[in-house]
Amino acid sequence: MATTTATLSIVSPDLLPSSPLSISASSTLMKADTSVGLHMMESGSGELTVTASNGGVVLKEATAAGENTAAKVYICNKATDPTYYIQVKLHDTIMGRLYAGDWMFMPWSQGAGTQEDEISVEAEGGTCPYEWAIFKEGETMVARTA
Amino acid sequence: MATLTPTLTLVSTDLSSNELNFSVTDSLTVTDPFIGMSNVTVTTTGADTIIVPSADARRFFFLRHTGVDGSGSTVTTDIKVEEGDENWFARVGPGEWMFLPLNCDGAQIIQLETTGGTIVAEYAYWTRS
Repeated sequence: MATTTATLSIVSPDLLPSSPLSISASSTLMKADTSVGLHMMESGSGELTVTASNGGVVLKEATAAGENTAAKVYICNKATDPTYYIQVKLHDTIMGRLYAGDWMFMPWSQGAGTQEDEISVEAEGGTCPYEWAIFKEGETMVARTA
Repeated sequence: MATLTPTLTLVSTDLSSNELNFSVTDSLTVTDPFIGMSNVTVTTTGADTIIVPSADARRFFFLRHTGVDGSGSTVTTDIKVEEGDENWFARVGPGEWMFLPLNCDGAQIIQLETTGGTIVAEYAYWTRS
């Protein structure tokens, strides 16, 4: 199984002038409830154009097979205009905005019931180049139908 | 106002034949209110641990599972991250962390509950100017 390490550093010299901020966190990306590493990755990049409301791009749709599996999601807005942003949505809930240069990384628990399902993104203000990656457990492909 | 510089690094030598070695950084201008690095003991009741209150503000949020419970013993259970009561969207395992933007435009909150027992979590959030 693969070993993938995600490391975060957050620094600020002036948030509290008397105590500069320096946060560091690192973890190996594991399958749910195991010490076995996630071994699959999907990634991509593209341009998001401003569309009508709810006209975003679905990065990943939850599947029944994916329920209770582990996944980690990375999204980055590569726009340079500081007024352009990407709206990140979990199902129909707007989680937050990634302005030009902003990125996010989080575990994502796909599934049914009260859990949030698909992750989608949509541009606001102007066209946003973006990149994304999802680290996940294996998927069983469905049988081909005639 | 202050400057926050978050950096993400992703590394793997065996995920695929294309070695992963990737880093991205950002520069965020942040202002009050913010909550600096804080610890909280999370229980199985999410409403007991609302760590990001509702507000009309754009924020960035950090959370880390410390891997120990309220008594300091190692745990294997997860933290469920909810953007409303029982509306969870992420399970954070021992040692794992997350960093993401929050819209918080009204009723949205972030609360935590465990899948069993107690867990000590670290968290912080900052408001964008």
